[in-house]
Amino acid sequence: MLENFSFRTIVEYLPLFGQGLVTTVWLSAISFVGALLVGIALCAMNLQRGWLFRAPAKAYIDAVRATPLLAQLYFLYFGLPRLGFVLPELVVGILALSLNSGAYIAEIIRAGILSIPRGQVEASVASGMTYTQRMRLVVLPQAFKVTIPPLLGQAIVLVKDSALLSLISVAELTRAGQLLASDRFMPAEGFLTIAAFYLLLYYGLKALAGLSGRWLGTAGART
Amino acid sequence: MTKAGMTQPGLTKTGMIDFRDVNKWFGALNVLRDITLSVEPREVVVVCGPSGSGKSTLIRCINGLETIKDGHLIVDGQRVGDPATNMTQLRTEIGFVFQSFNLYPHKTALENVTLAPIHVRKIPRAEAEQAGRELLAKVGLADKVNAYPAQLSGGQQQRVAIARCLGMRPKIMLFDEPTSALDPEMISEVLDVMVAVAEEGMTMMVVTHEMGFARKVAQRVVFMDAGAIVESGTPDEFFSHPKTDRSRAFLSKILRH
Repeated sequence: MLENFSFRTIVEYLPLFGQGLVTTVWLSAISFVGALLVGIALCAMNLQRGWLFRAPAKAYIDAVRATPLLAQLYFLYFGLPRLGFVLPELVVGILALSLNSGAYIAEIIRAGILSIPRGQVEASVASGMTYTQRMRLVVLPQAFKVTIPPLLGQAIVLVKDSALLSLISVAELTRAGQLLASDRFMPAEGFLTIAAFYLLLYYGLKALAGLSGRWLGTAGART
Repeated sequence: MTKAGMTQPGLTKTGMIDFRDVNKWFGALNVLRDITLSVEPREVVVVCGPSGSGKSTLIRCINGLETIKDGHLIVDGQRVGDPATNMTQLRTEIGFVFQSFNLYPHKTALENVTLAPIHVRKIPRAEAEQAGRELLAKVGLADKVNAYPAQLSGGQQQRVAIARCLGMRPKIMLFDEPTSALDPEMISEVLDVMVAVAEEGMTMMVVTHEMGFARKVAQRVVFMDAGAIVESGTPDEFFSHPKTDRSRAFLSKILRH
């Protein structure tokens, strides 16, 4: 079986995998920043007292979490042009990942904020801080630390989800594997190679999570 | 006393803290019943009573951590709960010490003390830090300015919490069972600081069962039960000659050991 496995072809295709890897990395990075912005906005809406902002945020989060990312991607890819928005595949892909991951990130941030003990809020209220001051000085710095590990987890999910963009012909890592598979009829070579690259990215992000964990641990400010 | 016969608050001389016929409910539970109580400037009032009697709720109303349902509550000349009253501003005049300290875990002792003075009072950082160091020295923690709360004992944390309140130069200090969460050997170091604050003329309301503290600095002890003020008198009157069955029953329980 292994005698049929062509390492030579993989080496031949390495530049293509390299380009795919680079594309996956930067489009994931942009999508993650977008997702953070979407998540922060949704979370801010979700934490309001009035239903006017909270209801749409909750509905959006539920809708995204209840439906497959592939369906969302196709909805944007095929649906937006019909509404008159013709965007490049790459932009549609980044938009889909940002909007999807943003819903999960909103819940991660909300959990982080809600994990801050009530006494912290009471102490800052009692000292005469305004809502903005106590969020900025007391709640968010503490919530931030709680939120970093699950956010990195979400980043790992996002990188893997970006593979779906190959279906709308974005030239990312999975697309490179598909090309090798279809050009040379070598699916084993193609998909094993991209799996190895995803594993590499996973370990990269995991190392980052470890580093941030150590940094948070040595900040000496935990209770 | 009927409501109609009562003089309009604000027209007569009022205390630093003035409760008049204050009521509060948690659902159907009447947690504060017709509370009328006036605390004069520089007065120290100790509030005691069985758990669930409404003592904490009473002092939490003063800075608006709890809201009152009806009656009047006037603090430093301003009516609490009145939309015209700037509660955020009023709270800067009222220090509140919690049972569970509630220090900011991501800030050092000094930062805990200077945070509100710098951001709320807008005192220049250098000046606030100078004052913060002096306050921490005053509560006996000159060597802990850069320690984080997690590195401090309970007694030390509570002393930082008191310094944090004093940093705002408040007119009133409220203490909600400040020693109840402490190991016995740490109680006196916190009480000593509270005595020092009282002796400087601070207006204080202290929810506590520490009778030594009450006898030493309180002008008045208020005994609450089931949301109402049942009895009030000097510490000596109250501890030596309780007037009601309920206060006698309560004292016999806390004095047994």
